Amino acid sequence: MATLDLRSITKSFGTASVLKGIDLAIRDKEFVVFVGPSGCGKSTLLRIVAGLEEATSGQIVIGGTDVSALAPVDRGISMVFQSYALYPHLSVFENIAFPLRVAKLSEAEVKSKVGKAAEILQLTDKLHLKPGQLSGGQRQRVAIGRSIVRNPKVFLFDEPLSNLDAALRGDMRVELSQLHRDLSATMVYVTHDQVEAMTMAHRIVVLNAGRVEQFGTPMELYHHPATRFVATFIGQPNMNLLPARVVGQDASGLTVDIDGGPRMTLPVEGRAAPGDRVEVGMRPENLHLGQGLTMKVRVLERLGGVSITYGMLASGQRLCAALPGDAPIREGEELSVAINPADAHVFDASGAVMRRTQAPALAA
Amino acid sequence: MTDAPAIQTAQRRGLSDAAFAWLLISPALAFIAVIVAWPLVETIRLSFTDATLGGENYIGLQNYIDLFSSPKFFDTVGRTFYWMFLSVSLKLIVGLIGATLLNAAIPGKALFRILVMPPWVIPVAIGVIGWKWMYNGYFGLVSGLLQEFGLIEGQIALLATKTSAFYAAIVTDVWVGTPMVTLFFLAAMQGVSRDLYEAAWVDGAGRWYRFRRITIPQIMPVIVSMALLSAIWTFNSFEIIWILTEGGPRGATTTLIIDTYKVAISSQRFGEGAARAVVIVALLAMFSLAYLYFLNRVNRHYGAK
Repeated sequence: MATLDLRSITKSFGTASVLKGIDLAIRDKEFVVFVGPSGCGKSTLLRIVAGLEEATSGQIVIGGTDVSALAPVDRGISMVFQSYALYPHLSVFENIAFPLRVAKLSEAEVKSKVGKAAEILQLTDKLHLKPGQLSGGQRQRVAIGRSIVRNPKVFLFDEPLSNLDAALRGDMRVELSQLHRDLSATMVYVTHDQVEAMTMAHRIVVLNAGRVEQFGTPMELYHHPATRFVATFIGQPNMNLLPARVVGQDASGLTVDIDGGPRMTLPVEGRAAPGDRVEVGMRPENLHLGQGLTMKVRVLERLGGVSITYGMLASGQRLCAALPGDAPIREGEELSVAINPADAHVFDASGAVMRRTQAPALAA
Repeated sequence: MTDAPAIQTAQRRGLSDAAFAWLLISPALAFIAVIVAWPLVETIRLSFTDATLGGENYIGLQNYIDLFSSPKFFDTVGRTFYWMFLSVSLKLIVGLIGATLLNAAIPGKALFRILVMPPWVIPVAIGVIGWKWMYNGYFGLVSGLLQEFGLIEGQIALLATKTSAFYAAIVTDVWVGTPMVTLFFLAAMQGVSRDLYEAAWVDGAGRWYRFRRITIPQIMPVIVSMALLSAIWTFNSFEIIWILTEGGPRGATTTLIIDTYKVAISSQRFGEGAARAVVIVALLAMFSLAYLYFLNRVNRHYGAK
C-alpha cells in the first residue's frame, strides 16, 4: 500500500508564499500528474514530497506513515530529475547501481538488480557506456533505471521529458505509461505540458499560484473544468471565452446574450440573476460551420485533418475554431460558426464554473 | 560554410593556405623565438663551456660529468623532489578542505572567500619577510608563542637548524600557494550541478559519500591540473626560499633552482649554472609531458564529453 496524502502543505520562501495549503489524497498505484504554468509551485510541491525542500507547515503521509520529518531515503520515494542528474564519470551500470552502492548491497545483489532494471529499460547492451555517449532518450532511461532499483513506494518525476525533442517525447510517454503498468507503483509526475498530463495521468492536479484548482481525471478536467483557469489550461487550442450577460434562467438552463453575438440557452445549473456578467466557454473543436457567430478569418492553419481558424468577431472578441480540414474558408473572409448549446461552458464573474447538465457520459 | 567563397578569393590572389597560416602565427613565433627559444639555445650552448665573467672555452660534457658524479647534486635533486612533493600535497589537501568549507552554505561566506586571498594577493616578498620575522628566535611570534604555552624552554630560531628551516620554508610555501589552489577548487566545485547532489541525497548518500563519489570525481580534472601546475611552480619556487634562508642553513633548503642561482649568478660560474638549468628544463619537460598525458586520460575518464 503506497498512498500519498498531502495535508495542508504550505511553503514560503521569505515573504513569498509559494504553496497556500495543498490537500491531496493520492491512491495506491495511481499515476498522478501535477500540471500548471511555470511558477505555480508544482516543482516545489514535488520537492517537498521528496524531502529536498521542507514544507513551512503541513504533513506528508506515505502509506499511512507521516514522513514529513524523514530524510528522502527513508521516505520510500525515488526521484527522476529534469536534467537526469546522471553522474558523468560513472558508467551506466554504476549510475543505475548508485542507490544500491549507497545502501551497501552485495555485489551479486547489485548485479542482479541492475540487470533486471536494464532489461526492463532496454539498456542491457549500454551498461558499460558513459552517460555522455548516450542519446537523450537513453539517458532518460538510465535516470529511470536508477529510480526503480530501490523499489520505492512512490516514484517522483520532475518534468522528465522536457529536455527531449517532440518525437522522442511521444515515445517516452508511451514507455512511461507502460512502465507504470509493469511496476504498478504510485507515481507522481510534474509537467507544464498538458498533453503529457492528459495522456498519462489517471488523475491530474491543476495547480495555479500555489493552490489546487482542480483534482480529477483528464476527462473530468476536459468536460467539467471547475474553474475558468482549468478550462483555458486544458485543451488545445485554448478554449474561447466570450463575455455574456444573463437574461434569464429556467429548467432548460441559462439564457444569455453573448456580447456582439446571438442569444443562447445553455444547459447548465447554478445560480445567476438576470443582468449578471458571465463568460461562455467554447472549445475550438466544438465549433462548427453554421449560423451563430460571425467572425472575420485572420489566420488559417491548415493541418490536413483539421483547419485551425483564428478570427475576430465584430465586437473585437477573438475566436478560434477547429474546423474540418477541407472547410471552404479563406483568410480575410467572413465566416459563421455555431456551437451545440450542450457543449458550451459557463463561468461566473468569480471564474467558477456553472456545471453542465448534458456533458458526455465518459466524464461522469 | 558562408565564408568559403571569401577564402577561395584569398587563394586566387596567390596566397596559399600554408603561407597564410604561417603569416597568421608569425607574431607569436617571433615572440617565442626571442623570449624562449634563443635563451634556451644559448643556455644549452653555455652548458658546454666553462663560461665565467672572464670568458669561455668549450669543454664538452665536463659540466655534466661533474654534476652527475657529485653526491651533493643528487642530494639537491632529491631534496627538490621532496620539497615539491610535500609542499604540493599540503597545498592540495589544505586547498581541498578550504574550498569545501567555502563552498558550504555558511553565513558570510563571501567574506571568508575574500579573507582567503591575502597570501596570494600581497607581494610574495612582503609576505615571506613577515614569515621570516615570525620565525626569528629573538622576537619571532612562533618562538614567543611556543614559550608562552610552555612547549619549549628558551628561544628557538626555526630557520637556524637544518630540519626546522626546511619545514618552516614548506609552511611558508604552502601559505603562499594555497589560496590559488583553493579558489580553483572552489570554482570547480561550484560548477558541479546541484541536481547530482540532490539525486544522491534522495538515494541516501551522506555528506562524505557525496564528497567522495561526486565532488572529487567531478573536479578531478581541475585537481590534476592544479597538482601538475603547482608541482612545476613549486619545483621552480625561488623567492620564498631565497628570502627566508638563501638555501641554508648548510644547504638544508637548497633546491635545484637555488643551487643554479648560487652557482650561475652568485659565483658567476655561468657554464656550470647553465648545465644545472638544462637539467631543470629536462625535468620540467618530463613533468609537462606527464601532465598532458594524465590530463588527457583524466578528462577522458571523468569528462562529461
